[in-house]
Amino acid sequence: MRVDVSTSRAATRDAAATVPSPARRRASAWRAGIGTGAAALAGRVAAGAALLVTVALLPWLSRSDPALTVLRTRSAEQNPTPGALAAVRDELGLDDGPFTLLGRWLGGLLRGDAGTSWVSGEPVLPDLVPALGVSLTLVAGALVVTVVVAALVSARTVFLGSHRRLHRARAGTGAAVLAALPKFLLASVLATVFGVWLGWFPTSGWVGPASMVLPALALGVPSGAMIGGLLDQALPAAFHEPWARTWYAVGFPPGHAVRHALRRTVPGVLPQLLPTVVALVGGAVSVEMIFNVPGVGRLVLGAALAQDLPVLQAGTLTLVLLGGAAGLGLRSLRRRMLGPALREGALPTLHRPPMPVPGALRYVAAACALALVTLCVAGLLRDPLHVDTAARLLPPSTAHPLGTDSLGRDLLARLGHGALRTTGVALAVTAVSVLVGVLLGMVPKVSAGLTEVVSTLPAVLAGLLVTGLTGPSVLGAALAVCVVGWSPYAAQTSALLQQERAAGHVTASVALGGGRVHVLRRHLLPSLVPPVLRNALLRLPTAVLVLASLGFLGLGAQAPSPEWGRLLSENQAYVELAPWTVLGPAAALVVLAVLAVAGAGIVQGGVRGRGRSGR
Amino acid sequence: MRTPHRGLIAVLALAPLLTGCFAASDSDSDSGSATGGAKRLRVALAVPPVQALSPYSNDATVLSKLAVAEGLTRLGKDGNAQAALATSWKQVDAKTWTFELRKASFQNGAQVTAAAVVNTLDHAGKAAARPRVLSDVTLDAKADDADTVRITTSTPDPVLPLRLASPALGILSAEAYAKDGTVSPVGTGTGPFRITRLTGRTKATLDRFDGYWGGRAKTPGVDVSWIADGTARTHALRGGEVDVAEWIPTSQAGLLPEGTRHEVPSVRTDSLVLNTGGGVFADAAMRGAARQAVDGSVLVDSVFGGYADAPQGLFGPGVGWAAGAREKVTGRARAATADQVKATGRTVRLATYTNRGELPEVASVVQQQLEKAGFEVRQDVREYTQMESDLLAGKYDALVFSRVTLLDTGDAVSYLASDYTSKGVYNIARLKDPAVDKAITAAAQEGGTEERRKRIMAAEAEILRTDAVLPLVHEKVVQGIGRQVTGVLLDPRERSLIDLDTRLK
Repeated sequence: MRVDVSTSRAATRDAAATVPSPARRRASAWRAGIGTGAAALAGRVAAGAALLVTVALLPWLSRSDPALTVLRTRSAEQNPTPGALAAVRDELGLDDGPFTLLGRWLGGLLRGDAGTSWVSGEPVLPDLVPALGVSLTLVAGALVVTVVVAALVSARTVFLGSHRRLHRARAGTGAAVLAALPKFLLASVLATVFGVWLGWFPTSGWVGPASMVLPALALGVPSGAMIGGLLDQALPAAFHEPWARTWYAVGFPPGHAVRHALRRTVPGVLPQLLPTVVALVGGAVSVEMIFNVPGVGRLVLGAALAQDLPVLQAGTLTLVLLGGAAGLGLRSLRRRMLGPALREGALPTLHRPPMPVPGALRYVAAACALALVTLCVAGLLRDPLHVDTAARLLPPSTAHPLGTDSLGRDLLARLGHGALRTTGVALAVTAVSVLVGVLLGMVPKVSAGLTEVVSTLPAVLAGLLVTGLTGPSVLGAALAVCVVGWSPYAAQTSALLQQERAAGHVTASVALGGGRVHVLRRHLLPSLVPPVLRNALLRLPTAVLVLASLGFLGLGAQAPSPEWGRLLSENQAYVELAPWTVLGPAAALVVLAVLAVAGAGIVQGGVRGRGRSGR
Repeated sequence: MRTPHRGLIAVLALAPLLTGCFAASDSDSDSGSATGGAKRLRVALAVPPVQALSPYSNDATVLSKLAVAEGLTRLGKDGNAQAALATSWKQVDAKTWTFELRKASFQNGAQVTAAAVVNTLDHAGKAAARPRVLSDVTLDAKADDADTVRITTSTPDPVLPLRLASPALGILSAEAYAKDGTVSPVGTGTGPFRITRLTGRTKATLDRFDGYWGGRAKTPGVDVSWIADGTARTHALRGGEVDVAEWIPTSQAGLLPEGTRHEVPSVRTDSLVLNTGGGVFADAAMRGAARQAVDGSVLVDSVFGGYADAPQGLFGPGVGWAAGAREKVTGRARAATADQVKATGRTVRLATYTNRGELPEVASVVQQQLEKAGFEVRQDVREYTQMESDLLAGKYDALVFSRVTLLDTGDAVSYLASDYTSKGVYNIARLKDPAVDKAITAAAQEGGTEERRKRIMAAEAEILRTDAVLPLVHEKVVQGIGRQVTGVLLDPRERSLIDLDTRLK
C-alpha cells in the first residue's frame, strides 16, 4: 500500500498532460534535489558557523569581564583583586583575543578534543556526553508522550472523519488549554503529587526509567497538545478530499481512510517537532532543575552564565548538529510520506471544508472575553504594588478575591495590571515572529539551515547575545524572543509551501500567466495563513513565559511590574503552600489562549462562510 | 510485513541505549550496600561541585562538610581554633609559628608527616588561582622534624591558627596533586570518610575510612547527591529519597514535617548597601533618611517566614561573641526630611540579584519603605554574575546584598577590610572614610582574641555610623534532617555537617 490512490491517479493524469517520460523527470528532479541539498547544507554550515563565532565573541560583546565571572563561579566570596583576576586571565589565555581562542578550540576539535572547561579545568567531553545521553533519553520519552497526547487530542476528529460524521468545526479549545500549561508549573505539580504525596515516582535525580516518567510528562503534554492542535485542524480537510468520500462509498474500512488522512496531514505538522520537541534537548532547563535531571540544558545555561566558553561552544555545536540532523531526519521522513506525489507535482491542496462553527464556541469565546475584561477592570481599580507583609499568602476572600502573594500583594490587582502589557507584548512578539518566519519560510533554500540552527537554540542564549549587544533593556526580552521565535513559523511555511506549490491549481495559475505576486496573493498566502495563525495562537502562552524567563538577565520590564509570566515564576515556590498564587495567573493564561483560539475559529469560520457565498 | 520487523529492531536497539543512560547511576547505589550492617546515609547538598571538589574552589566546604579532609586546626563552637591534625601550636615570634602533628594516616595508607603538610601548604600558596584564604598573606612552611611544622608568614598574622582551619587548607596526601595543577581529594584526605567516586556534578560516593585517628565512623558510608533547586531538595527529603537535605528554602520549610527542620543562625547578613561614591546617597543626610525609612524586622516573619533574626548590626547571632561586645553607634549624620528627599528629584536605582530567592522579595519591601520616605525607586534584578561589574563600578544607588561575614579565615576582619576600607576590592558601598579605615586597620593588627573582637565591634560601629550599610536581617539556615538520623552537625559557618557520630537510628 505504498502508493496513495488519489495521488497516483492524479499523477497519471498529470503525466499524460506533459511530454517528458517519468524516468527523465525523476532524474532531473533528483539532480535538482542534490542541488538544493548542497545549497541547504551550505546554508546549515554557514548558519552554524555564524552562531559559533557569535558565541565565541560573547564575553567580549557582553560588558562583564569573563575573568571575573569565572572567578566568581569557582570561588564565590573571593575578593576580585587585580592579582586574582590577572591569574585567571593568564590561565585561560584571555589576552589572546576571541579569534585565537576559537581557532585553538577548533583545532583541538579536529583532534577530537573539545577543550577543557574554564571553570572546572576538566575536559569538556566527559561532562557533555553523559548530559547529552540523559537529555536525548528524556526527549525521547517526551516525544512518546507528545505523540500519545497529540493522538488523544485529534482522536475525535479522526474517528468522526473516518466515519464521515464530521459536520462541525472544532476550535480545539481543549488543546489550547493543555498547550497553555506552563511546563515548569506542570513539573512542580507532578513532582509534588506523584513524587512526594503518592511516592509513585522519584522526585529527583536520574536513577532509572522511573525517573523519566514525570519529566517526560511535564515536557510532553504541552508539546503534544500543540502538535495535536495543529493536526486536528488539518485533518478535516484530508477527510474532505474526494478519495475519502469514494473509499467510504466503496466500503473501505475506516482504518484505511485514517491511515491515509494521517499520511496526508502529518507531513505538514512534522517540521513542528523540531522547535517543539527536539528543542527540549537544550531548552528544558526549568524542568531539569525541578527534577534535578543532569541534562544539556542546565549544562549550557551554567556555562553561558559563567562565560565558560569551551563548554558553551561545545554545547552550542552539539545543539546545532542535533538540530541539523533532526531537521534532515524530519525532512526525509516527510519526503518518504509525501514522496512520489510531491515529486510529480501532484498534490491537491488541503482545503478545509466549510463547516459551521459550533454555537457553543461563541459562548466560550464570550465567556473568556468577559472573564478577561472583568479581570482587567477589577484589577485596575486596585494597587498591584502595595506590599503588606501582614497579609502574606492569604487565600481568596472578599477583600482579596484571588488571594495575595508572598508579599501580601493583591493577586487580582497584579493580574489586572499585567494583562494589557503581557498580552500586548506577547502579541507583538508573536506578530513579528510570524512575519519574519513566513518571509524566511518562503525562501527555504536560504533559510532552511538557519531555521534548524535557530530551532534548537535556547532562548536564553539569544537573551545573552542581546544583553551583550544592547545591555539590559525593556525591549531586550522582546528582541531576544523574536531572534529565536520565528523558526516554528518558517519551518511550517516552507513545509506548507512545498506542498502547495506542488498543487494542481497553482501550476494551472502559473500556466495561465499568473505572476509570482498573483500566485502568492491569490493561492499561496490564503492557504498558508490559517494554519500559521493557529500555530501562533497556540504558542502565545509560551511567548508570555519565555519573555518572563529572560528577566534574570535584566531583559524586559523589571520587578516589581506585574507581568503574568513573572507572577507565575515568582510564585512557583508556593505551588504547594498557597496554590492560588499560581492558579490565578495560570488560569488567566489558559483563558487568554482559549479566547485566542476560539476567536480565531469564529473569525475563520465567518470569513470562509462569506468567501463561499460570494463565490 | 516490513513494519513490525523494523519496529522490533528499533525497540531492541533502544533498550540497551536506555539502560546505558541510567547504568552509571544504578551501580552507584549498589556499591554501598555491600558494607552490610548499618545503612548508608543519603545526603542532598545544594551547590554542585564547580572544580571537581578542588579545595581551592567553592567545593572546599564540601570536603569539610562531609568530613573528608581536615586541616591542622578546626574552628570550635566559640569561634576559636581547636586541635585537628595538629595537637598543639606555639607562636615563636610575630611571624613564626610551630605546629606539632598527631599520628594519623591518609586514606591511601600514607602517614601524615610534616613533609606532607608542607607539601599541601606549598601547593596552596603556589596555585595559579590562590585559594581566597591566602589572598592577603603568604605562608612559608618548613618541616622541623617528622611531626613539627614551622610556618613563617610574610606579615604578622595573629589569626594563623584560624586561617589553617579553612577547608581550602585541608591536608591532602602528595598523590592528590597532579602535575597540571589540579588537586583531587578522592582518597587522599585524612577524615573519617573517603571519597570513592565522584560522578560529574551529580553524585559522590563516600565510604568509611577505618584508619581514621579519631576512631571509626558510625555510618558505613555516605551517598551524596547534589540538588541545586531548593524545592527539589525539599521534595527529595519529603519523598524519602535522602536522609539529610541542606539549605531548605524558607518558602518550603513550612512543608517539612515537625521534627525534620532544624534552624541554625548563620553568619550571613542581608543588608542594604548604599553607594556613598555618587548619586543620591553620596549625601549622608539622604543615607540617614534611608536608615530611618528601612526596617528589616518586618522581613523576618514575612519574606523569611520566621527563619531570620531582626538586624542587630553587621554581625548577627551566628557570630556568637558579637552581641556581648557590641558598641553603641554615635555621631550619625542628621537624616534628611521627606520634603528634602523629594526635593532632590532623583531616582534611586535599587539593585538585587536572583541567585538567592528571598532577595527580590526583600527588594520589593525595601522599595515600598523607601518610597514612603519620599524616595523614587526603580528596581534592577538580575543574575549576580550579570551585574557584578556594574556593582563594583558604582552604577547603582543601593543594593540588597547577602554577605557572609566570616570568610574562610573564620575571622571578621577580612570581610570588613574588603568591603569597607577605601582600598577594599569588594567595596560596593564605595566607602572612603578615614575613621573607618583606621578602626579596621587597628582590628587587623591586634593579636589577642578578646581585644581583637573588641576592636572589630568598634569598627562595626564606625561603619554603621556612616550609614553606608543598613543591616536588614540575619539569615538562618534551615537544614532538613529526617527523623531517622542523629548526630548531624548544625554549624553556623556551614563548614561541617556529617562527622563520626552521624548515623541512621
